[in-house]
Amino acid sequence: MNEFVLLVGRGKLVEEIDLYLNQQGVKTKTLDQVFSPNEVIAVFDLEIGLNQEKRQLLQQVETRVTQQTPIFTSVLHRTATEIASWLFYPERLVGFSPLLMPTMTCVEICFPIQSLRPNHKLLSFWKQIGKEVEIVGDQPGLVFARTLALLVNEASFALSEGVAKATDIDLAMQKGLNHPQGPLQWADQVGIHHLYAVLEGLQREYGEDRYRPAPLLRKMMYAQFIGVEAEQGFYSYGPQEMRRDSHCFADRPERRSKMLSDA
Amino acid sequence: MLITAGYQVKAFDNCKKSRISAREWLEERWWKLAEKGKKTLFEVESMQERLVLVDSLQDLSDCDLILEAVPEDLLMKRNLFHQLDSLMPADTVLATNTSSLSVTSISSRLKHPERVIGLHFFNPVWRLPLVEVVESAHTPLELIQQAMSWLQSMGKEPIHVLDTPGFIVNRVARPFHLEAYRIVGEGSADKNQVDRILRSAGFPMGPFELQDLIGIDINYSASHSVYEGFHYDPRFRPHPEQRALVESGKLGRKSGKGHYIYE
Repeated sequence: MNEFVLLVGRGKLVEEIDLYLNQQGVKTKTLDQVFSPNEVIAVFDLEIGLNQEKRQLLQQVETRVTQQTPIFTSVLHRTATEIASWLFYPERLVGFSPLLMPTMTCVEICFPIQSLRPNHKLLSFWKQIGKEVEIVGDQPGLVFARTLALLVNEASFALSEGVAKATDIDLAMQKGLNHPQGPLQWADQVGIHHLYAVLEGLQREYGEDRYRPAPLLRKMMYAQFIGVEAEQGFYSYGPQEMRRDSHCFADRPERRSKMLSDA
Repeated sequence: MLITAGYQVKAFDNCKKSRISAREWLEERWWKLAEKGKKTLFEVESMQERLVLVDSLQDLSDCDLILEAVPEDLLMKRNLFHQLDSLMPADTVLATNTSSLSVTSISSRLKHPERVIGLHFFNPVWRLPLVEVVESAHTPLELIQQAMSWLQSMGKEPIHVLDTPGFIVNRVARPFHLEAYRIVGEGSADKNQVDRILRSAGFPMGPFELQDLIGIDINYSASHSVYEGFHYDPRFRPHPEQRALVESGKLGRKSGKGHYIYE
């Protein structure tokens, strides 16, 4: 049998996960390739879902795979329940968080409420590639992405308010709390768009102001300053020079001196 | 740290007992360093000579810098700074080690508020190099720069922050703790899972095990003071479970139980 995982989505994260799956000995194909429905062992849908494209892609996917094929979908922005509501066979849909998938020892999974009795057989794929499965509640971003998104959001507020400059905010969280990376550089690594999507999703699902994305993050989305992948996020990443130590476009030293002259 | 760096230090504490026990505690540490061969006998003896315990605030008047570390109580700090302001020559720098109070409120009613600066050290001071150098509404930039280069000369990693609630570390770390309470409170995951997932993502500790280490009461009062500082912005709203734990005496490792049980 020529079994493979069907990969849906675009961008750096898709390439990383493609590479990771191949390293685990799992073959991958995309929708534009030719295959028969029986060959698909699972679908990995990594579309964020900020627009209608995710829905259209998943409806297209359903015409190309069997009714039982598990569909693992990124729940960074929408809940598995909402995504399942678009499908003919919603009970085979499983939500997961794709951030840091290659490095994390576990994978966060959630079931939509449509699967009244969660089918744990759907998860055998993860055990096959050696991931511990953590089943958590169906909310945008699950645990890690939600936590990181909120850390980055707060750092963005502090940055735009001029409380400290970008490199100092990152230094503070690394040296003061031993975080593996500062929030701003971490955001550049995983992609601002993924974290922004989590915040907007949480804000919509909970209707709470605490999840409101910082205006600076919104602007970065307009400008497509999404991080390393775009060579511009909070920091600049030139092809030749890694300008990690240079200042960030959002640092505003002039504001500080103005505050002083006012005082 | 100051004594190790070669400075002459005068220490004052209202309570004579704690002054003496502080000295004993330090000397014990130094002798241990000497036993391990990290310090020579001569070095320890000269360190002992450099530490002088004094009986009144007046005795501090020949110091260049006075570093305050009394409990986090605005009234207590204000009173102390008021005394220091009148007792010390106008060019003595007065620094507060506050982690959550406003340096501007501590210094505003002084005759010389421009000599007050925030120097927020992190515990344990000899292991964590970070220092938040806080600019109040009165602090001139030259004093900030002076403090930064002085700290750097001792191998510290100072960052310049504006006087805003929680500065950087305590503010940006808020969601790490608060969101974890929310995730567990809404039934999306249990405490163990949240800790496991966040450790797997690269954090040195999960939020619950970390709170047990630092004290749930300490963490709660930090949450509360940042929340209050931002005039009850919902982003910083503490979680009811925090208060319940504190009131039931589950404070973490120090009380034998907190989020987890310690034998």
